[in-house]
Amino acid sequence: MTHRIVVDVQTGEVTQVEYTAEEQAAYDAAIAVQAEASAETPAETPAETPAETPVEPTNEV
Amino acid sequence: MSVTLNASTSSGLVQTADTSGTIELQSNGTTRLTVASGGITTTGTSSISNLTATGTFGGGVITSGTAVTLTTQTSVDYTSIPSWVKKITVMFSGVSSSGTSNMLIQLGTGSTPTYTTSGYLGQCSTDTAVTRANMSAGFQVTIGTAAAHLYNGNIYINLLGSNIWCENGMIYRSEAIGGCTSAGSVPLAAALTAIRLTTVNGTDTFDAGSINILYEG
Repeated sequence: MTHRIVVDVQTGEVTQVEYTAEEQAAYDAAIAVQAEASAETPAETPAETPAETPVEPTNEV
Repeated sequence: MSVTLNASTSSGLVQTADTSGTIELQSNGTTRLTVASGGITTTGTSSISNLTATGTFGGGVITSGTAVTLTTQTSVDYTSIPSWVKKITVMFSGVSSSGTSNMLIQLGTGSTPTYTTSGYLGQCSTDTAVTRANMSAGFQVTIGTAAAHLYNGNIYINLLGSNIWCENGMIYRSEAIGGCTSAGSVPLAAALTAIRLTTVNGTDTFDAGSINILYEG
């Protein structure tokens, strides 16, 4: 079940709150939309992040 | 003049009295605490241990929330934030999410919090690919998020006045080079009572790391 964590800062109580049926339905619908969108869109090849060249410190005069 | 209660090292308790309406507590003749019509003043170094604030409190104390270990939750809410709070620090340690949706911090109002989901102004940027995004639905604190990313650092949220809150922060990755900086502001309809860590799509889950908050007046 999908859930969120709620922390009451006055009492320190930490509660795991399960989604209501309505929230769960909205969540499932959003997941379905995302799955549909990703099925329609060709998977992108992640761009390679260029390796960083360490910058040598310089002593400017 | 004043009424004095002196804890003398030679005579024990020494009392004097008058009609000034002021009382002084003395240690061997030296006044350490004065109670007068204008309030209470102390002299010298004062320390109070185990102080618990209740009711309306003037601030000056930094209070820690409760750290939450992130496993499979879609959001983490910190609620019942006192009305005197003027600064909140959100701390990230190795925070990761399950997907590519960027992370947001949203502010809430009311005893059963209603989270503000629009009207956030500002930007988030990353140095990894020099990209930026305007905020809207929350204080966006990451951009270019991926499931493997582990974010660490602090986000600061300060009360400007009139329920306008300003944010800035830097959270940087620990599994690779890169990180995000953000700054923004948002006007709330009422006093802040809660903050929420979530994602833009609201469906990705937080699956690693821990967060906590500090709050102060």
